[in-house]
Amino acid sequence: MRLMRRSSSVLTTAALILFAFLNPTLCQTAASRNAQGSRVSQPARPGLPLSLPLKDGSVRFAVIGDTGTGSSKQQQIADVMIRYRERFPFDTVLLLGDNLYGTETPADYRKKFSDVYQSLLDNKVKFYATLGNHDEPNERFYENFNMNGKEYYRFTKGNVAFYSLNSNYMDKKQLEWLESELAKDTSEWKICFFHHPPYSSGGKHGSDKPLREVIEPIFVKYGVNVVLNGHDHFYERIKPQKGIYYFVSGAGGKLREGNVKENSPLTDKYFDSDMSFMLVEIAKNQMYFQAVSRTGETVDTGVLANQKKQK
Amino acid sequence: MKLNIRELILFWAAFAVMFYLPSSSRADTTFGRHQHEAQGVVSAQEKRTVATFEQRVKDYVKLRNRIKAKVPKLSKDSTPEQIAAFEKASVEALRVARAGAKPGDLFTPDMAQLIRTTLKSEFKPTEKKEIRKVVLEAEAARAPLRVNYPYPDSSEFTETPAKVLLRLPQLPKEVKYRYVGRNLFLVDTDNNLIIDYMLDALP
Repeated sequence: MRLMRRSSSVLTTAALILFAFLNPTLCQTAASRNAQGSRVSQPARPGLPLSLPLKDGSVRFAVIGDTGTGSSKQQQIADVMIRYRERFPFDTVLLLGDNLYGTETPADYRKKFSDVYQSLLDNKVKFYATLGNHDEPNERFYENFNMNGKEYYRFTKGNVAFYSLNSNYMDKKQLEWLESELAKDTSEWKICFFHHPPYSSGGKHGSDKPLREVIEPIFVKYGVNVVLNGHDHFYERIKPQKGIYYFVSGAGGKLREGNVKENSPLTDKYFDSDMSFMLVEIAKNQMYFQAVSRTGETVDTGVLANQKKQK
Repeated sequence: MKLNIRELILFWAAFAVMFYLPSSSRADTTFGRHQHEAQGVVSAQEKRTVATFEQRVKDYVKLRNRIKAKVPKLSKDSTPEQIAAFEKASVEALRVARAGAKPGDLFTPDMAQLIRTTLKSEFKPTEKKEIRKVVLEAEAARAPLRVNYPYPDSSEFTETPAKVLLRLPQLPKEVKYRYVGRNLFLVDTDNNLIIDYMLDALP
């Protein structure tokens, strides 16, 4: 069944990417036509297709989660990300947690992080980390994770405010901090990233409902636009929930192949047959995204409108 | 009409019970508030139990902060070598300073029982099921039930569900609750030292 879906979507998807090349503003329409929760696969092309518009003054970043294995596959997907930067010059990477699996000796920091992304670090790309369930809290002091010694923090780029939250320990203090920061935030885009997904179609983990019940009301109340999570080792774009866009991108170092539940009502698009990361570009009131596999295939792409501007 | 001293004391005691105690118990901690709502009243004994726990946590924080001041500090731009050196030095110094620490020093039997009772009575069956799913799916079984030893850094750090945290006494940032299977640990935020643990703490 999955193979049939995959083969039937190949031509459609290839056409969509070409279409997106010619007119990126049409990505949303194109993506939604193929948004049936089907697994997407398409042949890799030597030039690494880019469906992001590269608009002047836009905010550009990459997103990758569950990276820290130190495996050859982690290196392979990092290499694709590095190659993509030649076409899409991003200066920021969001790490969605599980930055270091297993032990965390100095050698582990090198093997599972700095050696893998050395080229990006050399080019002054800044990584902003969040803590996953495999991360020691002291990672918050690590120079290359830019957490400034904090388990949860906020930073801005252009018209975008980013909130890195610690979903391992969402206590009253953190919730109060989040609420007070969001209440005074006038940024056009508010993006929260943390490890455990409030919405996910993963068979292994799936939606973290206890977490969702606590933080979703805050997101809704203060107009959070986008939520990015890892933990489940695949890519999934969730159908907007209460007006918020959710993504799971937890396949930057591990893959849980075939783990997305078939016919999940949450899924807009998913990819769980190889590892992946995301590229994102925000230009004024539009957020363009492209999810890329370890072999350089574009597995999802589209554009999302700022919810506040839609009203 | 004159009131004698005994009557005056009784009057003010009744006044305090009616007005002061309920509001102060609400202000104390979320833990206290939910206890109050769930069981109708927080007994004086329960308040003392929570106060003892909170005082012992404060005492621990004082101790660890004194020790932390003597070991190399971490900056926000630390190298992995500096992080490793800090963890090693602070764990070793704390373990020596807490020699003789034993289970129940902070989670006294009364406190452990109060936590169990609160968590078992506070959640609907569906909530309990979801919380158990989050806690028990973690692969943290290798963490030893040993006070004054560091939590093994190869073990997963289980998410402590927010809904549980909102029911427990708030901790200072230096100390955290962490589930290991059905058991609840108190760990030091900076070096993962197991400060104390209690058994059977799942809702």
